[in-house]
Amino acid sequence: MLFHINFKSGMPAYLQLVDQVKAAAASGELQPGEPLPSIRPLAEELRLNRNTVAKAYAELESLGVIESLPGKGCFLKQNHSPLRKEIRRKLLIEEIDQAIVMAHHLQVPGPEFLHLTHERMTALEDKRRANQDHKEK
Amino acid sequence: MNSLSPAIEIQNLAYAYGKADAVHDLSFRVQTGRCYGLFGRNGAGKTTTMKCLLNLLRPQRGLARVFGLDPAKAEVDVKRRLAYVPDQLAFYPWMTVRETLDYLASFREHWNQKKEQELFDRFGLDPAKRTDALSKGQRTQLALIAAICPDPELLVLDESTSGLDPIVRREFIETVIGAYQEGHPGTRTILISTHLIAEFEGLIDEFTIIEQGAAVLSLEADAARARYQRIRARFSQAPPEIELNGALCMRREGRELELIANGGGPALMESLRKHNPESLSSEALTLEEIFVAALKS
Repeated sequence: MLFHINFKSGMPAYLQLVDQVKAAAASGELQPGEPLPSIRPLAEELRLNRNTVAKAYAELESLGVIESLPGKGCFLKQNHSPLRKEIRRKLLIEEIDQAIVMAHHLQVPGPEFLHLTHERMTALEDKRRANQDHKEK
Repeated sequence: MNSLSPAIEIQNLAYAYGKADAVHDLSFRVQTGRCYGLFGRNGAGKTTTMKCLLNLLRPQRGLARVFGLDPAKAEVDVKRRLAYVPDQLAFYPWMTVRETLDYLASFREHWNQKKEQELFDRFGLDPAKRTDALSKGQRTQLALIAAICPDPELLVLDESTSGLDPIVRREFIETVIGAYQEGHPGTRTILISTHLIAEFEGLIDEFTIIEQGAAVLSLEADAARARYQRIRARFSQAPPEIELNGALCMRREGRELELIANGGGPALMESLRKHNPESLSSEALTLEEIFVAALKS
């Protein structure tokens, strides 16, 4: 997968990497068992501090998104969050609340927000299916 | 030798060339394993500071410590653990590239042959070429090989990329990240002085901006980018007068308004939003823009 870093987003670079891997995993762009780029070439390519990339991978590993096999590198894991269900729900609720607050400020009413949510879920599922089909061919 | 002491510590450092103050009352500290940027305009005191760390100059006031040691008293102990790539490179002109590296390696306890070969391959440098026939880019490549092969704990880079073409600059930075940082992650410390800040954006963990020999701003790079925001708003009429708490500077152009927030970005966004702007956006400043903003304010 191809990473990119945007310093103007104001988000720490390591978090941008974490989010990009998470998004690629959700959309099926990265499949379980697929390798992630090794730290050194990725750091060189993005001209990013090696420690920043290492920090992103450590974070992804602690979130249970990837696993690192000594001497082999990092691989995407089957989607099994190590967290308990109520914690997972709580974390998601925090994110949803933020999006709702954002919707309020952008004057997007409730029903439209729900509709958009639905639309985005469908878009992600379509992308996932497309990536799946592509991989099977 | 204390592993708990920071890699570099500068406290109230002062140095003057005759009556001309180069550095006065400068303090900062670089923790082991970090990449630290020393940003300043030409003549801001960056090189003088580095020379005090390397015992090329003696601090007239304050102190400079490397690995917790005084570079003036423990010069050999300090220098065996660091490498320095100065702004002005000097090699013996009659030596070839190979002879130069052998000569420099003879002063070192350790020389990483594997890295040397890797860097030769990467740069495509001819070992049989005399150093006086090298281009500026090649001279820098040679200096970089000489600095990285001893696997030093600290790499001091003084304006090492200025005057280089973009390809060589890019290679230089990739080499610092790859070949240097690879060794023992977390123990490889880098001190970079530069005014070509954009090049090092992704590498810098923390920085100090110096101006006329004193620190103007010291921050973590991530914190700086979160703090300094450019906010743009466009209104249907002339922009409203709002309380600019903490905003650094601003432009007004017709119906548009541009602010640089120094912290307090969200509050500014909130008060702009109350005036029903047609559009409102914010983005982080890059380190280079922060440098300019900090020196302007």
